[in-house]
Amino acid sequence: MTHAVLKTVNLVKVYSGGAVPVHAVRGVDLVVEPGEFIAVMGPSGSGKSTLVHMLGGLDARTSGEIWVDGKRADTLSESAWALLRRKKIGFVFQFFNLVANMTVTDNVELPALLGGASPRVARERREHLLGALNLTDRADASPAQLSGGEQQRVALARALANEPSVLLADEPTGNLDSRNTRDVLRLLSKVHKDGQTIIMVTHDARVAGLADRVICLLDGEIVDDGRIARRRTGTAGAVIDLR
Amino acid sequence: MSTARAGGRWIRADLRARRGQATLTVLAVAGIVAALITAVTLLEDGTNPWRSLFAQTDGAHVWFYTKDNSAQVAGTRSLDGVTQMAGPYRSAPVTVVRDGKKQPAALRAMPATPPQVAHPVVAEGSWLDPAQADGVVVERSFARALRLRIGEPLAIIALSGERHPLYVRGIADSAEQGFYPAWAPGLAWVLPQTLDRIEPMLGRSEWVTGLRLADAEAAQVVSQRVVVTLDDQVQRLYTWREVRAAMELDNRLLGTLLALFGVVGLVAAALALANAAGGRVLGQLRDLATLKSMGFTAAQVALLLVVEHGALGLLGLALGTLAGWGFAVALLGATSVAPMPVLSIVAGTALVVLAAVGLPAWRGGRTPPIPAAPAQPLRGHLSRLAKLALLVRLPPALVLGSRDAFTRRVPAFLTAFGLAVPMMMITIGLGVWATLDNFANHPDQVGQHAALHVGPGKLESAAAEQLVKADKDVRAVYPAADVNALAAGEGRSVRVRAIGGSADPYPFPVVEGRMYGEPGEAVAGQGLLDLLGVRIGDRVRLTVGGSPLIVRIVGRAIEPDLDGEVLSVGLDSLAPKDSVPPEFYALALKPGADRGEVAARLLAQSSEGLDVQAVVNPADRLAIIRVLIVALIAVLALIGLANLLTASALGLRDHAFDLAVLKAMGLTPRQVMATLVTGTGLLVVLGVAVGAAAGASVVTWLIDLQGHTSGVGAGIGRPPSGLSLSIAVLVAVGTALAVALIPARRAARAQVPVTAR
Ligand SMILES: Nc1ncnc2c1ncn2[C@@H]1O[C@H](COP(=O)(O)OP(=O)(O)O)[C@@H](O)[C@H]1O
Ligand SMILES: [Mg+2]
Repeated sequence: MTHAVLKTVNLVKVYSGGAVPVHAVRGVDLVVEPGEFIAVMGPSGSGKSTLVHMLGGLDARTSGEIWVDGKRADTLSESAWALLRRKKIGFVFQFFNLVANMTVTDNVELPALLGGASPRVARERREHLLGALNLTDRADASPAQLSGGEQQRVALARALANEPSVLLADEPTGNLDSRNTRDVLRLLSKVHKDGQTIIMVTHDARVAGLADRVICLLDGEIVDDGRIARRRTGTAGAVIDLR
Repeated sequence: MSTARAGGRWIRADLRARRGQATLTVLAVAGIVAALITAVTLLEDGTNPWRSLFAQTDGAHVWFYTKDNSAQVAGTRSLDGVTQMAGPYRSAPVTVVRDGKKQPAALRAMPATPPQVAHPVVAEGSWLDPAQADGVVVERSFARALRLRIGEPLAIIALSGERHPLYVRGIADSAEQGFYPAWAPGLAWVLPQTLDRIEPMLGRSEWVTGLRLADAEAAQVVSQRVVVTLDDQVQRLYTWREVRAAMELDNRLLGTLLALFGVVGLVAAALALANAAGGRVLGQLRDLATLKSMGFTAAQVALLLVVEHGALGLLGLALGTLAGWGFAVALLGATSVAPMPVLSIVAGTALVVLAAVGLPAWRGGRTPPIPAAPAQPLRGHLSRLAKLALLVRLPPALVLGSRDAFTRRVPAFLTAFGLAVPMMMITIGLGVWATLDNFANHPDQVGQHAALHVGPGKLESAAAEQLVKADKDVRAVYPAADVNALAAGEGRSVRVRAIGGSADPYPFPVVEGRMYGEPGEAVAGQGLLDLLGVRIGDRVRLTVGGSPLIVRIVGRAIEPDLDGEVLSVGLDSLAPKDSVPPEFYALALKPGADRGEVAARLLAQSSEGLDVQAVVNPADRLAIIRVLIVALIAVLALIGLANLLTASALGLRDHAFDLAVLKAMGLTPRQVMATLVTGTGLLVVLGVAVGAAAGASVVTWLIDLQGHTSGVGAGIGRPPSGLSLSIAVLVAVGTALAVALIPARRAARAQVPVTAR
């Protein structure tokens, strides 16, 4: 067995800020193999976002273990997590989360620069990514001038800029119309074919159909973990449905 | 390195996106710093004129007088540490006669081409000219005391008793000696041949030599060497320190005021920056979360913010220093700027800048990396104020606006506070102004019931008394005497001022205890109480010219003179040798009488025999403070404005979505605008009202505290007049609303897309 890109052992998250503690995630065991495309499904409030945030170190776990690339990560400090994220984890969120004041170019080059790339390398990578995502002509635009779909594609380019071990996407299509949803999904499946490991939260079954493994969360627990046969993933059928 | 590069990109992008706001921040800080530096320089120059005089005249650090112009005197030029020499100049003691009065003077021989070192700087007229051998140039303070003008004749009486008429060619400044009459004899320059003519006897004159040193601090050492080298030839010697000390005003009051203004300025700078940085950070939390999700650590985000906002503050500091420096140089000349206070302002501001930016930066660094949805919906419930607005059936725009005002607590607080503090400072400034006005309009409340002090001069005391009592504008005449007294155990003397009798006392403004009523009782200024460590009711024992003076202090009076170190008694408390005949008469004038007129009349009637002096009002000495107050108010207004713009920019950003909703609800652009302005306006009114109230409630206390430390004593503080305060409040609110209107109008007109961003 190849070592897992991501592994959790009995991962628990309790929000104890309010009057009653909220058990958002209760004992999740998850192993993510390299190159897998996992869709996380479940009703609203089932703990999907919480799980994904913990996997990327955005939120501290209450108990349990998180392993990234074979190394224990849940014991890391906040800033050690930040350093880890630069190299190994790319995030895409529902609301695109581009830096509002920066152009598309700067938004995409920022993580590369942060990861230690020289400005030249960062520029080459950005040119390559924007070209692949069909955004070359919007390079100098500011996020506010882009449509939702374009913004999400830029966010994707930014998340991929450092060739992360795993791409975490929290409802990346949740705020898009169907045409833009289709564009973004096509890109996701393209990078997945190139070997990118992806964990994507969605509550749209058709979107989940793109993945090769679907995990269902309910009240913070995994209630279903189904591998879908390879031949069914990425079939033209799922995509054509959307058209 | 990698973070620096990435952070640099972010800072550049952010600054580009808010050029206007960043410029305003820089300008606000620059304005404060420039105002502070100018104020400090003006005050420093006003209280300590020596420094700039010394620089202008390329003064000498050590001055000494010798009987002869020997070779050894010239030899001091080669002493260690001496760079240049002024003189030796021949100097003869003479008497000048002016308006029938005689004043001692030193007539100094100086060539027609002024020397390089210690050259008097001509302020009016021109320097000596060989073509006019009867010309004289008079030192400025001496000329002022003699009321001399250019071209006027000046009679000089030599020691021989011979009278020589000279003509005033010029009036010049010098740093060679202190001001007349504190430093006597007065100083006047003539050409060497003129001096030879007036005083041909070499034996009746001395030689004056000035040494300019490489290091001012070496003055003590060099003077000792001079004394050793010249042995008993040196008759007198003094250094720049004595000159400076002689020129200094009693400036405890100005010093504390300066400190107060400095603190106010720094607080204002901190506020402007903290508000700009804080508002910006609040508006940016989403971007900061994104940065963290990308791999910026909390410390790096905080550092980024410190660098960005700190750089703005430091840029403002640099610009302000340059501007303040330039302004001071333009006003007072290149050498007038004192480096020490300016350096401490710069260092203080730099610290304040970093501290003010630190807090919002730390807050920004703590932003959780979890991205929030854009533009949080407003909390659902209506604020109490909005409910009230609804209850009284206000138009919808007002209701919505008042609801807006308080839904986001922190920005609301920042806005109100950011206006309240400048407004409080402005109120305090107005209070200081009112206090000065009160000094000027009611001199009797600061111990200046009498407007003129008249000495008998050439007249007999009785004749003088008769003359002043006969004047039609004189309301009361108090015989008076000023004597110096030694306090037991104190190494220095204090002033005892005796005016009027004990039974019919001069109306000193007694603010604590009571007025004296019989011989042996006294009232004192705060400074004296502090100096002697006594309280009202205590007995003090002083010695006046050998005879004891024992009095009981029964009250405290406002005392603007001599740092408050004055004891006031009835004339009959003094021994007869000190009080008979009275040294002078204090004249209280009838209301509306012009003191200048009375003075002129008295002089005329006594054929210039009386010695008439106008009492100097402390407000006149403090006139510079009014300039400061105006500058301060301008800067504070700028700061308030900067805070307001920050707030409204932040508010609009928050409301970008609501605007669309409001329009969709059917509000006209005008109503949308009204909504936005109401939101800001409520906070403005709140901030201004709180600031004015706070200022008005602390101002008397603050001025009294200040009065206490300066020896004048508590009881001088006045709140700003109702009229000026209401005008200030109205202007502040009006300007603020006008300023809030501009972005609101633009926003209301703009087509806001209803889709998510
Ligand atoms: N910061 C928080 N504080 C308290 N409770 C939270 C917080 N974030 C999420 N929750 C709660 O945790 C549960 C899971 O939330 P979330 O992970 O956002 O669900 P999902 O993304 O599946 O909709 C919900 O009940 C939610 O109310
Ligand atoms: Mg969610």
